[in-house]
Amino acid sequence: MIDTYYNVFHKTPWDFWIPLYFYFTGLSAGSFVLSSLFTVFGLKQLKSLAFTAGVSAVILLLLAPIFLVLDLGQPFRFWKVLVPWYFNPYSVVSWGSWLLTIYPIVLLIYCWYMFKEKEKMIRIFGIMTLPLAIGVHGYTGFVFGLIQARVYWYSAIMPGYFLTSAVLSGIGLIIIITLIKDKLIGKSTISELFTPLKRMMVVIISLDIFWIFCWKITLLSGTDDARASALIALKDPLYIFGVLLFGMLIPFFLLTFQKTRNSVRWLAVSSVLVLMGVFLMRYTLVFTGFKIPLS
Amino acid sequence: MSVNHEKEDKVPDGNHEKEKLHRRDFLKKSGVAVTSAAVLAGSLSACNSYAKNKSKPKKRLAMVIDLRKCYGCHSCSIACKSEFNVPLGVWRSWVKTIDKGKYPKTKRSFLPRLCNHCENPPCVSVCPTQASHRDEEKGLVDIHEERCIGCKMCIVACPYDARFSHPVKKVANKCDFCIHRVEKGVVPSCVNTCPSNARIFGDLNDPDSEVRKLVDTNKVQVLKPELDTEPSVFYIDLDKDAVGGHITT
Repeated sequence: MIDTYYNVFHKTPWDFWIPLYFYFTGLSAGSFVLSSLFTVFGLKQLKSLAFTAGVSAVILLLLAPIFLVLDLGQPFRFWKVLVPWYFNPYSVVSWGSWLLTIYPIVLLIYCWYMFKEKEKMIRIFGIMTLPLAIGVHGYTGFVFGLIQARVYWYSAIMPGYFLTSAVLSGIGLIIIITLIKDKLIGKSTISELFTPLKRMMVVIISLDIFWIFCWKITLLSGTDDARASALIALKDPLYIFGVLLFGMLIPFFLLTFQKTRNSVRWLAVSSVLVLMGVFLMRYTLVFTGFKIPLS
Repeated sequence: MSVNHEKEDKVPDGNHEKEKLHRRDFLKKSGVAVTSAAVLAGSLSACNSYAKNKSKPKKRLAMVIDLRKCYGCHSCSIACKSEFNVPLGVWRSWVKTIDKGKYPKTKRSFLPRLCNHCENPPCVSVCPTQASHRDEEKGLVDIHEERCIGCKMCIVACPYDARFSHPVKKVANKCDFCIHRVEKGVVPSCVNTCPSNARIFGDLNDPDSEVRKLVDTNKVQVLKPELDTEPSVFYIDLDKDAVGGHITT
């Protein structure tokens, strides 16, 4: 039996703002991916959401860095990450800061051309924005995936998991926005989007469940700390009910069960649940990682 | 026969030595030529300062903590606190204490903690502004406080929980081996105050230093060697059970 008689634990360094920031970049990247499905990949069924999704991607990405700056100890020094000779090529955050600067600019140009309806330019800027959108959210996965000290995060699935759940939250958000827009304008654009968006949600929820399964299994068969971190998560009601049950399994059930899968109302409910689930996924991922003491 | 063999064996060896000598001579001469050329080129260009730095022997400040001598008085923690006026709730140096076993067969182990000043520091690689850096000239891991934006990425990445966000300065903070003292030729405050001389400080790259001798002649351990951070804080007689957190799930 080992009993820690005295030790110093330093305060959890990150605040609530950090998962919120990850959530917003995810929503932005997810919205943009949806928009690009029409403008870059030519999926004609999704035409009606392309502009809305592009604009919401811009707005969300203008909000996201605010949360990041709010968490800084020295918020007025945020510009120092963009000083070229301070750039650290080994630092994911260094790369991410540049992505966070360039992505919204290119995205704005993309939206401008959408507003002007110049199809060729939309496609060109869509193709340019797509890797930036993947980068701007994919890097947050690497922020976690490369921290060797924190067993719960140190996993190769992080960037992929972050990206798929970002697209999931993006779909949820666009469905809600479309429904509100339909109410206001009195048109029914959702009927056209209903089937493709529902199918995408089902596929991505399945993919997310697959990621979680792989990740938890490797944690449970890993070191003592890794196993402990997985067990902490699996005993956390916020994780079990928030992320797994209400965030994934219930929406999956609602979208596939015969009696509920054809109703717009249940699609809206699933979207709200998915939006909440993805936020709680970010939240629990950040703070469960800190629950394993290092010293 | 065997004698002959020995002789035969020795002959080529001798030749080899001569050859080696020749080669060494040649290397010396060419080395002089190359260095003089380098110095010439260096003085002509901005590379000059770089060449000078390269010729200086690299320093690596290190500490050996002899746990056979430590009795857990926490003097080092207090000396550190007063040296830097460290605010409440955060510590640059502290002594972790564990109890194990069941009465009467028990053992208390101490683990004095501080920044490990790793050769391969994870906190430095994650820093987005190069504020956390390994100062090769001084031989330690240090922070440019005016450049730190307080993103706390280094605190997240340090596998030893040695860093914290300074509650007053609002930047990352940690042990800096009392470099302001060391530069004036005195040992760090914790080393100075340790009543049992359990902490020994010096330059690990100096073959005559006490730390070098202790590291070379003792069974030393570092914390979490599996992470390949190459710490510069070495422990003699480390209790493995005192390392890392113990959580019951």
